[in-house]
Amino acid sequence: MRFMVIVKATPESEKEGALPDPQLMAEMGKFNEELIKAGIVLAMDGLHPSSKGARVKFSGKSRTVVDGPFTETKELIAGFWLWQVKSLEEAIEWVKRCPNPHACDSEVEIRQVFEMEDFAPILSQEEIQHKVRARAQLPYQTVNK
Amino acid sequence: MRFMVIVKTTPAIEKAGALPDPQLLLKMGKYNEELLKAGVLLAAEGLQPSAKGVRVKFSGNSRTVVDGPFTEAKELIAGFSILQVKSLEEAIEWVKRAPDCRPGDESEVEIRQVFEMEDFAPILSEEQIRHKVRARAQLPYQTANQ
Repeated sequence: MRFMVIVKATPESEKEGALPDPQLMAEMGKFNEELIKAGIVLAMDGLHPSSKGARVKFSGKSRTVVDGPFTETKELIAGFWLWQVKSLEEAIEWVKRCPNPHACDSEVEIRQVFEMEDFAPILSQEEIQHKVRARAQLPYQTVNK
Repeated sequence: MRFMVIVKTTPAIEKAGALPDPQLLLKMGKYNEELLKAGVLLAAEGLQPSAKGVRVKFSGNSRTVVDGPFTEAKELIAGFSILQVKSLEEAIEWVKRAPDCRPGDESEVEIRQVFEMEDFAPILSEEQIRHKVRARAQLPYQTANQ
């Protein structure tokens, strides 16, 4: 099963021009090496503060662009992993072993990723195959193993 | 530059056991194929509703697990993609072209710039940066700045 493991932002990570604390980065680096050795990590990335981002609001045909930064820090993403594990419980155990990604209290959300086969109730086999083939062309697409 | 395009969820999408609207799924598929043809799309995933997820709260050495579902639909993620483009403005233009949503399904997409290892030059040595680049290159499906 694949899971997206989402590290939420904090006021520190959201500061303009913020870079991770080198000490935390080193601890996280060690943890990542463990995860990689265990064959769990499919992909991972950190995100710049939301001041460098934007939001696009969709309503029917209309599109409204709002520049960052955004204020609901606790709900913003600072980074993520994509993991391949046997169950949600296994993902939770690994997350509990993660060093705190931030110097202050923080939160990590774990969400299961849709596989194309999950859409069998609403798509034909043909449509599912089409999606699987299209995704296989993406240079860095992760797939369930 | 790489950007993560984060599709926020809606109450309809969050319904326990909900699968996406097949029409929307197919429209998104067509849109993604456009992005793929343009060489812009690096990866894309949909997430199951938060009822199938959890949150882990970190405080000092303590870890507290809270089961989903989570109620703030506007702040939950329904899916994401990673785009390779020249600028935030180009990412915004592509996002604006995503399929219309239906009345009552107003939604939001957040666009965030992804850190490249070189961005850490102020805090890491060249050696440390190269180490990180090499480690990430071994990941089976890591997207990398092209």
